[in-house]
Amino acid sequence: MAARVQGATDRTSRPARRTLALLAGPAAVFLLLFMLVPLLSLVRTSLYDSDKSFGGAGWSLRHYVRFLGDGFYVSVLGQTLVYGLIVSLFCVLVGFPLGYSLARMSPSARRWRIPMVILPLTLSLVVNVFGWLIILSRGGLVNKALLGLGLIDAPVQLLFSSFTVMLVMAQTFLPFMVLSIMSVVAQIDPALEQAAANLRAGRWTTLRRVVLPLALPGILAGSTLVFILTVSAFITPRLIGGTRVQMLGSMIYEQTLVVLNWPFGGAMSLILLAIVFMFVAGVNRLSRTRFSETRN
Amino acid sequence: MDRILHHATNASGIALRAAIYLFLALPAIVVICASLNPVDFLAFPPQGFTLKWYWAAFASKPFMDSLSLSTQLALLATAASLIIGTPAAYAIERFRFRGRGALQAFVLSPMIVPAVVLGIGLLQFLVWAGLSQSFAALFLGHIVITLPYVVRTMTASFSLFDRALEQAAMNLRAPPLTVVRRVTLPILLPGLLSASVFAFVTSFGNITVSIFLAHGGRATLPIQIFTYVDYGSDPTLAAVSTLVILVTVALLAVVERVAGLQKVV
Repeated sequence: MAARVQGATDRTSRPARRTLALLAGPAAVFLLLFMLVPLLSLVRTSLYDSDKSFGGAGWSLRHYVRFLGDGFYVSVLGQTLVYGLIVSLFCVLVGFPLGYSLARMSPSARRWRIPMVILPLTLSLVVNVFGWLIILSRGGLVNKALLGLGLIDAPVQLLFSSFTVMLVMAQTFLPFMVLSIMSVVAQIDPALEQAAANLRAGRWTTLRRVVLPLALPGILAGSTLVFILTVSAFITPRLIGGTRVQMLGSMIYEQTLVVLNWPFGGAMSLILLAIVFMFVAGVNRLSRTRFSETRN
Repeated sequence: MDRILHHATNASGIALRAAIYLFLALPAIVVICASLNPVDFLAFPPQGFTLKWYWAAFASKPFMDSLSLSTQLALLATAASLIIGTPAAYAIERFRFRGRGALQAFVLSPMIVPAVVLGIGLLQFLVWAGLSQSFAALFLGHIVITLPYVVRTMTASFSLFDRALEQAAMNLRAPPLTVVRRVTLPILLPGLLSASVFAFVTSFGNITVSIFLAHGGRATLPIQIFTYVDYGSDPTLAAVSTLVILVTVALLAVVERVAGLQKVV
């Protein structure tokens, strides 16, 4: 009896393993076939020695060399990463007050606010961007308001700038940050903040020394998601930024569906994927070292 | 003085949060207003009220065809994701085995793989498999993107599930099927419903993966909207977009009533 119990805890028994395979198998096999295999075959495509999408052959690193050797592509890559960092930072600054207040709210007060927060996340991206086009276009809301107030004499071009592209992306991805911060702050005992206040720590000191360190995992998780979504965006840059704002995602889209150069598009995709994985690994490491610091 | 300062910080905090909520909801509000505007849909404030753009949208074959395609696609992808995702969530939540963390990371990974990378990967793979530009291509791609939402929601749902309730029913000699029907399913229903809604809206609104898989063929509703936006604006577009907003909001309201949104996001 004891042996059986121990066996069950030490490693999964044979019938349990069968049940496990039946339960988790279909999902795992599906993703293996329709996510992992396509990504691996993309590696092969990116190494073809031609610019043709169909029937490529041979092995070559030329697409990677072309990307990394061309100042234009490298500058777009750098610009994309900068946009990713700016949008993440903006979302932390704007998302923290909202996430914090939601976490400290009564459930009934939270009730009608949560749908507002998650609307941009659940609503189709194109509908959201279409709304921004109405707001920002020459005859749109912002221009009408500025004209009405007499601040400008003629409509100004608000679209096609990197600032508006980042603003729209920040609005679209902000919910991830708010939810992430909300869930982590909800687990911080309010008594800790009261204790800090009793020790005559001001609001800012309490925020900086008590709340922020404890909320850091949520802030990092939210930033990771926002960064990934921003650096891989292509619909928003294309519709809001036009040809004036180039991002890595829009170039991949262009190469894949317009130029039809899949090997080059594939190489760019894998560079993007590598950046994303490095970012995730870096953030994981950062949050782990920060944790052990707090613990010691 | 201190109290005045305190009130001032509070008031500015409230104003700041109100501004952020407005920032989040503004595009949707503007689209709804534009769809009801009779003259120029960009005019603000609206100059009257009309439903004519809705009649135009209902009469538009491209929009109605893509609406029906998107609905079918979202329903089927949701069903498939539930069927394979729910047991996987159960395994992750209830079993302790080697590689459990890896399995969980793997089934949630479509959330962090950039959609553009997934799109081009699936495109060239499905061309190779002879499935490109078909309903099957969209269907398979949409299962990949909806699966993590189902697994995440159902894992949370199983973790809240008190197994003592099932045990109690069995101790009362309820047959296994009765236990499932009268105890297990009612407890899991809010979770299943939330998972379905998140999967449905994810599929229904998706453009980033769809655009790679449906190129040239039948367009889903978001692709149709994208094409119209790209080639100039048309007030009918505002009406169609409002329909998408209404469907999304209505589904979120259902989750709110049945499960409580704050418990599942």
